[in-house]
Amino acid sequence: MAVIEVKKLTKTYHETVVPVHALNGIDLVFDKGEFTAIVGPSGCGKTTLLNMMGGLDEPTSGDVLVESEDISKMRPSQLVDFRLHNIGFIFQSYNLIPVLTVKENVEFIMELQHRGREQMNERVDYLLEAMGITDKKNVRPKYLSGGQQQRVAVARALASQPKFILADEPTANLDSKSTDALLDLMASLNQKEEVTFIFSTHDQRVMDKARRIITLEDGKVIHDSKYALKDE
Amino acid sequence: MLIKIAWRNVWRNKTRSLIIILAVALGLWGGIFSDAFMNGMVEQQVYSTIHTETGDIQLNKTGFLLNHDMQMRIQNADSVIRTIQQNPEVTAVAPVTQMTAMISAASGSAGILMNGIDPEAQAKVSDISKLLVQGSYFKDKGADQLVISQKLADKLHVKLHSRIVLTLQTFSGDITYGAFRVTGIYRTTDNDYDMQMVFVRNTDLKSLISFPGSDVSLLTVMLKNDQDADSVALQLSQKFPEIQVQSWVQLSPILQLATGKTNVIIFIFVGIILIALAFGIINTMLMAVLDRTREIGMLLSVGMKPSRVFGMILLETVFLSVTGAFIGVAISISSIAWFGKTGINLSMIAEGFNALGYSSIVYPKLGAGFYIILSLMVIVIALAAGWIPARRALRLRPAEAIRGE
Repeated sequence: MAVIEVKKLTKTYHETVVPVHALNGIDLVFDKGEFTAIVGPSGCGKTTLLNMMGGLDEPTSGDVLVESEDISKMRPSQLVDFRLHNIGFIFQSYNLIPVLTVKENVEFIMELQHRGREQMNERVDYLLEAMGITDKKNVRPKYLSGGQQQRVAVARALASQPKFILADEPTANLDSKSTDALLDLMASLNQKEEVTFIFSTHDQRVMDKARRIITLEDGKVIHDSKYALKDE
Repeated sequence: MLIKIAWRNVWRNKTRSLIIILAVALGLWGGIFSDAFMNGMVEQQVYSTIHTETGDIQLNKTGFLLNHDMQMRIQNADSVIRTIQQNPEVTAVAPVTQMTAMISAASGSAGILMNGIDPEAQAKVSDISKLLVQGSYFKDKGADQLVISQKLADKLHVKLHSRIVLTLQTFSGDITYGAFRVTGIYRTTDNDYDMQMVFVRNTDLKSLISFPGSDVSLLTVMLKNDQDADSVALQLSQKFPEIQVQSWVQLSPILQLATGKTNVIIFIFVGIILIALAFGIINTMLMAVLDRTREIGMLLSVGMKPSRVFGMILLETVFLSVTGAFIGVAISISSIAWFGKTGINLSMIAEGFNALGYSSIVYPKLGAGFYIILSLMVIVIALAAGWIPARRALRLRPAEAIRGE
């Protein structure tokens, strides 16, 4: 079942005299539960594609359909609400709210969704345990390592129970041990929660864990392969 | 959660926040204290004018105050006084026989306003008896006692017990002379008043100038509440249509203007300070938004409504301003309470103050209502100051902001 469909997606930036074609007519379909890595050289359009799929930027042409709903035609206010209930984001620099504790950072999204206190507590406890940071729940992000902060970011992204998670270079600032641990956790949650993960990455370790690798170059898909898990 | 985030955000950059909080606190303190000083000064002048010069209400014949013609008098004053005393708001009534005269001593002379008073009744409508710096206030039974001001005594080079001569016009228009002895010397905060007003017993004056015994030049009335002067004056003027009845507000229109406009001036003054502070707040909040571009981008990306981001920045601005205002008001209340008791002694420039009719010791004072309006002003200014940085945050595009652009 397709969670996201990208149809003839183009994006042209006019920030300089010469137009920059970041995406050149991309067609892609992402199914539920995928664990996909989008790779390619810098400037190939990975982040732009993620932004389009996340409703953070408007395409020049083409459509982005999430469960058959065309988000590229939505008004900005509709998009905000759509993102809140359907998409989880993980950023390269974690982007946690520094004035909130770990628990509050994870709760924050659910508060925006107006969830009940009991439901929030339950979900926070589950996610923090799953991410192995229960003992850090009352600590502010600045007292955590990069790996721990990114685990909080993953917990926050999952807290809203999104249809898919977009992760832009999530391991770029992590050491290899933290990267492995984080990827294992995300892979496990991908299985348990059946949530779709789409990464943009340069990291070979992410590519090794991914079950689908899409390679972009000059805003076009030049390679798209699916792999079975070793134990599948 | 939004309130929690906004409050904690205020303290993210402690130095920056403390600087602006301190600026707001000190700015407001300066403004409020200056206003309290000005307000205290005006209130003291009002009190002093009522309790030494005008009383709450004066009754006299129309035109008397222009030339002090003794023929323009209130006849059968006792009956008028009795009627006035029936008014429940009235606490005291004092008769005065007043005329222009010349006071002469060995080394000089001066034109004055001679006041023939009933010392006991006058003490209830005027504080002159409490403002004596030498001698006594008609304490002795002896005749021909006279009370003058320190200023006039200095000008005439007379002292306590000095003998002076008064030159006056009699009721029939002849010139007469009277010798009096200085038995009391007073000092008020108003130089003009001090240079003019001389007091003797009514009985002494009347017999000297053959003024009709039951008549007086004017009546001074004191009320329970100074603010009722206008309404009581209206009631009395209806009872005595042939007599001019004036409240202190009518007798001293400049004072009334000063009282009425003080509040307006105070709020304009504080308003200007707040507007100046608003620019500092705008600068601080713009820096805060700039520093947090990436974070605001994240908030917008994950689904926080732009209106809530806008509200968060506004809340931060209000918290920042209100914290500063709270400290400023607390310092102001304490310092006004302190100096309200001890007073601020401006004796170094007392001459200038006295020339304007102000006391050289000022007791700052502000009403509770001022602080309520001030609180509203701070919140309105904070919201206005927060508008610009909040709009800046609102204009951020999540995809660009998340990259810190």
